[in-house]
Amino acid sequence: MSDGVHASPESSHGGLKVRNPRDFWGGSALILLGLFAVWASRDLPGMHGFAFGPGTAPRMFAFLLIALGVGVMLVGYFTDGPAVERYEIVAPTLISLSYMFVVSGQSATPKVVAAILALAGIVFAVIGLMGPRRNLVRGPLFISISIIIFAVTVRPLGLVIASYLSCVAVSAATTEVRWLETIIWSAVLTAFCVFLFPIALNLPFQLWPTNLSWASLLSFR
Amino acid sequence: MTDLLQHLLLGFGVALSPMNILLCLIGAVVGTLIGVLPGIGPLATIAMLLPITFGLPPVGALIMLAGIYYGAQYGGSTTSILVNIPGEASSVVTCLDGHQMARQGRAGPALSIAAIGSFFAGCVSTVLVAALGAPLTAAALLFGPAEYFSLMVLGLVFAVVLAKGSVLKAVAVIIMGLLMSMVGSDIETGQSRMAFDIPELSDGIGFVVVAMGVFGFAEIMRNLEQTSTRSIVNAKLTGLMPTWPDLKAAAGAVGRGTLLGSLLGILPGGGAVIAAFAAYTFEKKMARDPSRFGRGAIEGVAAPESANNAAAQTSFIPLLTLGIPPNAVMALMVGAMTIHGIVPGPQVMTKQPELFWGMIASMWLGNLMLVIINLPMVGVWVWLLRVPYRLLFPAIIIFCAIGVYSLNNSPFDTVMTALFGVIGYWLVKHDFEPAPMLLGFVLGPLMEENLRRAMLIARGDPSTFVTRPISGVLIALAAILLLVAILPMIRSKRDEVFVESEG
Repeated sequence: MSDGVHASPESSHGGLKVRNPRDFWGGSALILLGLFAVWASRDLPGMHGFAFGPGTAPRMFAFLLIALGVGVMLVGYFTDGPAVERYEIVAPTLISLSYMFVVSGQSATPKVVAAILALAGIVFAVIGLMGPRRNLVRGPLFISISIIIFAVTVRPLGLVIASYLSCVAVSAATTEVRWLETIIWSAVLTAFCVFLFPIALNLPFQLWPTNLSWASLLSFR
Repeated sequence: MTDLLQHLLLGFGVALSPMNILLCLIGAVVGTLIGVLPGIGPLATIAMLLPITFGLPPVGALIMLAGIYYGAQYGGSTTSILVNIPGEASSVVTCLDGHQMARQGRAGPALSIAAIGSFFAGCVSTVLVAALGAPLTAAALLFGPAEYFSLMVLGLVFAVVLAKGSVLKAVAVIIMGLLMSMVGSDIETGQSRMAFDIPELSDGIGFVVVAMGVFGFAEIMRNLEQTSTRSIVNAKLTGLMPTWPDLKAAAGAVGRGTLLGSLLGILPGGGAVIAAFAAYTFEKKMARDPSRFGRGAIEGVAAPESANNAAAQTSFIPLLTLGIPPNAVMALMVGAMTIHGIVPGPQVMTKQPELFWGMIASMWLGNLMLVIINLPMVGVWVWLLRVPYRLLFPAIIIFCAIGVYSLNNSPFDTVMTALFGVIGYWLVKHDFEPAPMLLGFVLGPLMEENLRRAMLIARGDPSTFVTRPISGVLIALAAILLLVAILPMIRSKRDEVFVESEG
C-alpha cells in the first residue's frame, strides 16, 4: 500500500535489474508493513512471566511478516517471473491516507500532514490523468474519490446529495462514460437508494441537509 | 435417527414460516442475480447486505444470507454457459465445456444439467450438514484452547495449500491478515493497539471494511481495466430438458462432484471455488476419453456445478459446529451472527436449535426455489446480462458505500474501505491471493485468544500444543500438509488446478 511508486514497472528499468519484479516488490512492501507494525506496537508491554502481554502477539506476527517478506523478496531476486501488470495507485492511496490523518486527533500536526498528502495526491492525479497511462489511473482514482465524497458529504448534506454526487464521480472511472446517461442514471440510482435504505429498510439516514454550516462540512465526518 | 427427523421437523417448522420463506426467496433471487452478473461475488454482496439484516430476526437474516451464497453457485453457471465469462469465480471451469455445449446448440441441456446437478448436490449436502451437526458438536466440546488453536492453524494451512501459486506468499498474506486483526483493543487488558488514537480504530478494523474493499472494490478496479464486450449465445433456448443419454452420462459426474465438493467444503480453507476446480480435474482424469473435455462434455458441466453447490453448503458445518469459518464467505457469516449477538460455535445447536435446524431446512427449500428461479426464468437473467458494465458498477459502488457507512454510521469506515480496495488491487497485481488474508484476518482474534489461554494454562510451555493428543494430531496434520505443499513437484501441479479463489 505504501509503495505504489517503486512497484510500478518503470522503476525496475533503473539501475537494479530484478528478475521477478512481482515477488521482489511485493516482498519489500511486506517488509515495510512489518516494520511499520513493529514501530506501531513499540509502546505495548510484552511478556510478563509466562503470560502474553498486549504487545506479544502483534510483535510476533510483525517479525514473522518481515521474515516472510525477506523470503518473498529473495525468491523474487533469484527466480524469473512475469513483469508486474501495470497499475497506478499512488494518487488514490495518498488521498485516502490524507483523510485518515484529517480525522485522527485534534492537534495541528496531522492536519498539516493531511494537507500535504492531499496536495501530493491531487498533483499525482492530475499528472496521471494527463499522462499516457490515464486509462489506468481512472479506475482506482475515481472509485476512491467517489467514496470519499460520499463519506464527507453524507452527514452534512444528506443521503440524496451524497449518493448523487458520488454516483456521478464514480462514473468517470471508466473510459466508456457517457455524461448525459450518467446524469440520468445517477438520479435513478439515488432514487432507488433513497427508497431502499431509509424507506424500505428503515435505516436512519438524513435525506437532506440540516443545520448546514462550514464547521460541519469541514469536520470531514 | 428419530432424533434427526425430529430436528429436521423443527427446522422445517421454522423455515416454512411465511416470513422465512420470503427471506429465503429473496436470498435465492439476489444470489442468482449476483451469480449471473460478472464482477460482483457473494462476498461483496453479503457484506453489502449485512446492514439490511439489522432489522430482521437472526434466523431470517442468516437464512437470507445463506441463500445468497448457494444461490450464487446456481446463477454463476448461467453466465459461464451462455457468455463464456464466469459469472462467479466458482463457475470458471464451467465455461470450458458449458460454453462449448451452448455453441453446439445445447445450451438448454447444459443449463438444466447444471441446475439439476446443483439441486442434487444441495439435497445431499443438506442431509450431510444435518447428520454431521450433532457428532461434530459433541466433538467440539472436547476441545480446549490448545485444540482450537491447532485446528485454526490446520485451517490456515489448508488455505495455504489450496491457494494458487507460491506457498511462501500465501503464508505471508495470512500473517498480514493476522497482523491487521490485532489493530484495536487488546482482548485481555483492553489496551489500545496500533490504533493511533483514532476512535474508529479502537474497536479494530471492521471485517466488512476489509472484505468489501478487497473483494468488492478491488474487483471493480480490475474489471474496469478491460473494456468488456460480451457475446451472448443467441441461439434460442429450446429443449431445456436434457436427453436420457445426457442424464446417464452426467449422473456419475454429479455423484462424484457432490462427494468431492462436500468434502472440500467441510475442510477449512476450502470452498466452492476450489471444489469446482478439483471436481473438473478429477472428472477429466477419470474419463475414458479425456480429449472430449473442453469440447462440450456434459460431465464437465455436471461435476463442477454439483461440487460448488455442495461445498457452498457443507462449509456451514465447521462454522455451525466449531465456530470456525472455513472460508471467507463463512467468515462474513460470523460477522452476521455477531451482529445479532450469536456466538458461532457448538452452543448454537444446543441453545438455539431453531436457528441451527431452521437454517438447514431452509437450505433444502432454497435449492428447490433455485431450480425454479433458474430454469424456467433463465430468459430474465439473460436479459439482465445485456446491462452494460458502465451502468452496473456505479450501482455496486454506491450500494457498497451506503452499506459500509450504515454499519456503524461511520464515514471513516467508508474511506477505509476505499483504501482496502486499493490494497486489494495491489495484492492481485503482485500475485498475492486476498482470500487467505481475509481468513487470517477473521481467525486472528480467535487464534490469539486461544493461544494466550492455552499458554497460560500450560504455564508458558509451548509443547502443550503437541503433547495434548487431539491438538498434537491436528498440528501433525498441518505440518504434513505444509510439507506436501512445499514439495516442488506437487506445487507445479497445483498451479494448473487452482486458479482464483474467492471462497
